[in-house]
Amino acid sequence: MLESPSSSGYDGEIGSDSSDDDDGIKEVVRDKSDNGDGEEANAELIRGKRRSDEDDASISWRKRKKHFFILSNSGKPIYSRYGDEHKLAGFSATLQAIISFVENGGDRVKLVRAGKHLVVFLVKGPIYLVCISCTEEPYESLRGQLELLYGQMILILTRSIDRCFEKNSKFDMTPLLGGTDSVFSSIIHSFSWNPATFLHAYTCLPLAYPTRQAAGAILQDVADSGVLFAILMCKDKVVSLVGLQKSALHPDDMLLLANFIMSSDSFRTSESFSPICLPRYNTMAFLYAYVQYLDADTYLTLLTTSSQAFFHLKECRIRIETVLSKSNVLNEVQRSLSEGGLRISDLPVDPSARSGSLFHLNQRKPATDSQDRPVDIGGPAGLWHFMYRSIYLDQYVSSEFASPISGPPQQKRLYRAYQRLYASMHDKGVGPHKTQFRRDENYVLLCWVTPDFELYAAFDPLADKAVAIRICNRVCQWIKDVENEIFLVGASPFSW
Amino acid sequence: MPSRRRTLLKVIILGDSGVGKTSLMNQYVNKKFSNQYKATIGADFLTKEVEFEDRLFTLQIWDTAGQERFQSLGVAFYRGADCCVLVYDVNVQKSFDDLNNWREEFLIQASPSDPENFPFVVLGNKVDVDGGNSRVVSEKKARAWCASKGNIPYFETSAKEGINVEEAFQVIAKNALKSGEEEEIYLPDTIDVGSTSQQRASGCDC
Repeated sequence: MLESPSSSGYDGEIGSDSSDDDDGIKEVVRDKSDNGDGEEANAELIRGKRRSDEDDASISWRKRKKHFFILSNSGKPIYSRYGDEHKLAGFSATLQAIISFVENGGDRVKLVRAGKHLVVFLVKGPIYLVCISCTEEPYESLRGQLELLYGQMILILTRSIDRCFEKNSKFDMTPLLGGTDSVFSSIIHSFSWNPATFLHAYTCLPLAYPTRQAAGAILQDVADSGVLFAILMCKDKVVSLVGLQKSALHPDDMLLLANFIMSSDSFRTSESFSPICLPRYNTMAFLYAYVQYLDADTYLTLLTTSSQAFFHLKECRIRIETVLSKSNVLNEVQRSLSEGGLRISDLPVDPSARSGSLFHLNQRKPATDSQDRPVDIGGPAGLWHFMYRSIYLDQYVSSEFASPISGPPQQKRLYRAYQRLYASMHDKGVGPHKTQFRRDENYVLLCWVTPDFELYAAFDPLADKAVAIRICNRVCQWIKDVENEIFLVGASPFSW
Repeated sequence: MPSRRRTLLKVIILGDSGVGKTSLMNQYVNKKFSNQYKATIGADFLTKEVEFEDRLFTLQIWDTAGQERFQSLGVAFYRGADCCVLVYDVNVQKSFDDLNNWREEFLIQASPSDPENFPFVVLGNKVDVDGGNSRVVSEKKARAWCASKGNIPYFETSAKEGINVEEAFQVIAKNALKSGEEEEIYLPDTIDVGSTSQQRASGCDC
């Protein structure tokens, strides 16, 4: 994901950054990638409300690969990923007409297939959400994305908006969402790179066990003073988190909260205290989030139920910050961020060579592979990438991208392949399945689902099946060996 | 979001089939008129931006089909309307007589919070036809009906000649706006951790 250099405001019209239009796989390097979005390239890096000049009559608008719309049940537009909501009022009315027409017949419209396009509908009380996509993502995935988009809106406003619509069906909620364009574009962008959006799990920044313990201890300390949840994150990765109650923070809520914080630049510039709602925790009510960035990437979030708690939380943050810098946690976090996580080239193929620590490995990382085994592209035996989700921990870990999955287009293609794999493994109609081995011209994909974990692995398309399976076993073993460092484990109050 | 707050107004146009609803809308939005009659299927949607008292508005105009077979769409279409435009043909008595039904049907289906004061506008269309010689509903009669229904503003229009169309929609926008004035109070609760029932409550049904 691209870091945007300039600051944009939570308070302004400024939309998302370059990441905005992910479906064209356009990053800094202009590639003539497989799915161009049919648009002028240079606008990409300009931060601004995404194509507010467009409407449904524009050719560019029609060519967009993936649209998202939020509207009210009276057909009034609330949000559109592309184009100006007001100019799209007629289009929005048409969507409402389709949904209401079917509802009138006592039925529900789930999806419409129109050539290459899939139109997916989600009705949440008075709020209608629609995705129109020609990305070949499965219905289940798109529906899940609409759920998250709705969740993002609830995070900002709570479900109390339902009551406003009950009282007055003319209710226009767009003013309440003023300045949140970037939050929505950013969550939509994450649908094409962040596995958390379909795995419903969070991921941790790899850290030596004592480092994470130190962070956890000080967070626990403040949690005992009445903080509901204390979360320390670095970008989209968790450093540590604790909670006061024996209640869990749902990974989806963490995703939405992190997205909200990271996409609203006002959080970066000062300490903030903001009402937020965690949709999986309680859709109807606000919590209050105290947010402070401790360095450019690392931010502390303290959640409380008291709107008066600002000064208390400020004190908590000062204590936490002091301890974290004294115990060198912040430096370790930065180091881990720059070094990255699991590398497939580090996968111990020989069981006797297991080291038990990631950091040990990282430090003595040899520049060349001096072993006598043939040098593969990617990891051993044609392993290109993997994702491992621990069911029990609600966490996942994925390997760093390496050649040949190096460029954004390749990464996105793999991401979409995993997404399809996930959907097919969890298909309620025919599943759930335990294993899947799939070979196409791009990859061999292997998926293994057990009550404890799910493993998704991508290999060279010519990889041997038996070898691939053996490698997957090695990956699982490796994960177990280093789980203290890649997962938040132990006396976490989150696991009930 | 734009720096200047804009308001979206949903306007429903109702009336018997053939009275000229679509033509009025086309004249207003596109400044065009066609003699050919094309029945509206279900509903058409057009938008128009207007500036009024230094504020920007988008009119989201719902041009509905007059045929009875489409009336089951009512609830869905009328929900959340800011203004309702009733159209009849001054040359067709029945289209005038039916105004009452249209109005009542709308109030039932849309169930606005304050039906007494819900903004309607009545348009007597096709005043140009035959130089007014085929006219069967007099302006006086129409105005009397409007007065009896709480002083509904009334305009005599010709979608073909563009007579009074702009003026009528000005009033439509103005009245729609008036009805939207009362602001909603949006006041969510805060979670009370003390009460046990709240823990991981309903959650969203996702």
